[in-house]
Amino acid sequence: MMTTRRSLLAAAAPAPVAARVAVAQPRRILIGYQLPLTGEFSQYGERFRNSALMALDAFNRSGRLPVPVEIVFEDTRSDPREAVAVARKFVDNREIVAVLGDFSSSASIQAGRVYAEVGMPQLSQTASHPDFVKISPWQFRNITTQAYEGPRVAEWMRENGVRRVAVVAIQNDWGQSVVSNFAEAFRSGGGEVVATQFFNPGNREFRAILTEIARARPDAIYIGMFYEDGAAFLQQRRQLNIRVPVYATSSLYEPKLVELAGAGAEGVFLSTTFMATSPEPHVRAYVEEYRRRFGSEPNMFSAQAFDAVNILLEAIVRAWPEATRARVREELARTRDFPGVTGVTTFDPETREPAKTLARMRIENGQFVLVR
Amino acid sequence: MFDRFDIFFVQQLINGFSVGLVYALVAIGFTLIFGVLNVVNFAHGEIYMIGAYAGLLAIVFLAPPWVALLLLVLAAGIVSGVALERAAFKPFRRFRDEASLKSKAMRESTLLSSLAVSIVVRESVEKIFGADMQAIPRAYADAMQEPISLGELAVASGQIAILAAAILMFAALQWILTRTDIGLSIRAVAANPLGAQYVGVNVDRTVIATFAIGSGMGAVAGILIGLYQGTIFPAMGFAPGVKAFVAMVMGGLNSIPGAVICAIVLGLAEAVATEFFGQGWADLVAYVFLVLTLVFFPTGLFGAGRERV
Repeated sequence: MMTTRRSLLAAAAPAPVAARVAVAQPRRILIGYQLPLTGEFSQYGERFRNSALMALDAFNRSGRLPVPVEIVFEDTRSDPREAVAVARKFVDNREIVAVLGDFSSSASIQAGRVYAEVGMPQLSQTASHPDFVKISPWQFRNITTQAYEGPRVAEWMRENGVRRVAVVAIQNDWGQSVVSNFAEAFRSGGGEVVATQFFNPGNREFRAILTEIARARPDAIYIGMFYEDGAAFLQQRRQLNIRVPVYATSSLYEPKLVELAGAGAEGVFLSTTFMATSPEPHVRAYVEEYRRRFGSEPNMFSAQAFDAVNILLEAIVRAWPEATRARVREELARTRDFPGVTGVTTFDPETREPAKTLARMRIENGQFVLVR
Repeated sequence: MFDRFDIFFVQQLINGFSVGLVYALVAIGFTLIFGVLNVVNFAHGEIYMIGAYAGLLAIVFLAPPWVALLLLVLAAGIVSGVALERAAFKPFRRFRDEASLKSKAMRESTLLSSLAVSIVVRESVEKIFGADMQAIPRAYADAMQEPISLGELAVASGQIAILAAAILMFAALQWILTRTDIGLSIRAVAANPLGAQYVGVNVDRTVIATFAIGSGMGAVAGILIGLYQGTIFPAMGFAPGVKAFVAMVMGGLNSIPGAVICAIVLGLAEAVATEFFGQGWADLVAYVFLVLTLVFFPTGLFGAGRERV
């Protein structure tokens, strides 16, 4: 009896060591992905999941790690409250070493507070609000922010001789940052912002806003919204016969915009990091496989997610065999010249802001055409 | 202040009137079921959405002429209205005893059952078609979205179609309610379901007929507005549904003319509000109106109070 107990104790004694070894050599690596799979934004979540599965399959096939990597997808509807609930669930799962998502800045920021407290690396493919990476050193993003895009659009407008601009943006964290970053840069260049209008998410009636803007007689309109709102906006602009050039945020780069807005989309200027028609071989390979597997065209959002997953997988490879949350965070911060489908990406090790190249496009005859 | 009363202000009034008509078009069917028949129904927005999707499917696969399209959508609306009634409302009419028939809780339990049906329907459509906006074949979309310039002012062809549809539906409904037998039984059931039953009105049939008429109109509103705005997506019924609800309450619940007038007032007020503060705040107008009405005119602006026993 005694011997049994002693041998049990003896067996128990080295257990912590065994456990540490087990942590270092897990049977699999888990990544959490919080995204909207139902609700108003589910088409984005769907794209993220498609891209993530593509990236993950290719990675596991490559055999670069001796253990498989798996992704746990959790639906948040991109609702900040649900995002927090999912974040708590992810941090409680000790197997999860890093998290991807969420979709909107608002949901990502709320979840980010949970991750910051516990120490979980979080990489969002789309959260572009400036405050997101300021939460803690655990937050990363794979999308250029409005602080990056806004001044470049302002410069583009100046080159085209625009002096007076009206700005229309969606009323949320992201929309606010569209307006503030752009307006600041445009004013400092000597331009004038003659009207600023926000609309509530879900509103698709822009005639009142358009009429109000037309009164200010701007040289151009800058719109910060998603493509569905943008399509309604552009259609109604055409119906009201307002012939002012429109510049748009990169979020409007989506083939469906032209399909939905028809003639209303002609002549819109916008910048982007991802072009599905790019001749680069790795972009073409991505676009073709996406098309084949999911029967739809990838857009900027799907590409953004594809790169985010790959950046995270690279960081895990570099952290291996010590794939802990802290190590993965360190390696994410070391991301340099990652050759993604959204351009060569480098994370600033301090601010954790990505740097990418922006291409200028215009919609001509229903096609997105590279301007320069 | 007066520099605001320019050509743009007139344009703003036109915008507001057309928004009001959109609300009115939704409010007509809604008020018939919710207000007149006095059945709490929160699934009207989904009937509206089904109308838009049924129309879109017809356009994509059959490309029918306009009259046929509207008749098809009307039929789809009637079928889904009857199905909705069967699923969410009929089970609560099983209890025939007087206490249940008079029970408010019994009547209001359809609030949840209709809400449940609406969520199931919306999520199913989302599952099948996706949550994003559907592309509409250009020939049909353009017919409703063609700009028509009147000097410096502009209207869209769809606005005229919606005006015509609103007048037509309103007239048809008034005729049904005041000149036909089914209209008489609808009003009888609305005033007093138990009494109506005692004098030989078939309550079941009347309720089903009301759902058929109201839902048919809701579905037609859905396809017309969907084409005109170019936005057909699963959650499309929510925003106009809320505004139609406000218009109905403002109009006094049981008054269809009241709901129509209030819907137009609401649209105008929202558009004019954009002149003075951001559009983001314009939604506030509807709710302020709702609160003011409830505080100062508890029976609505046009309601004569409900005849109750």
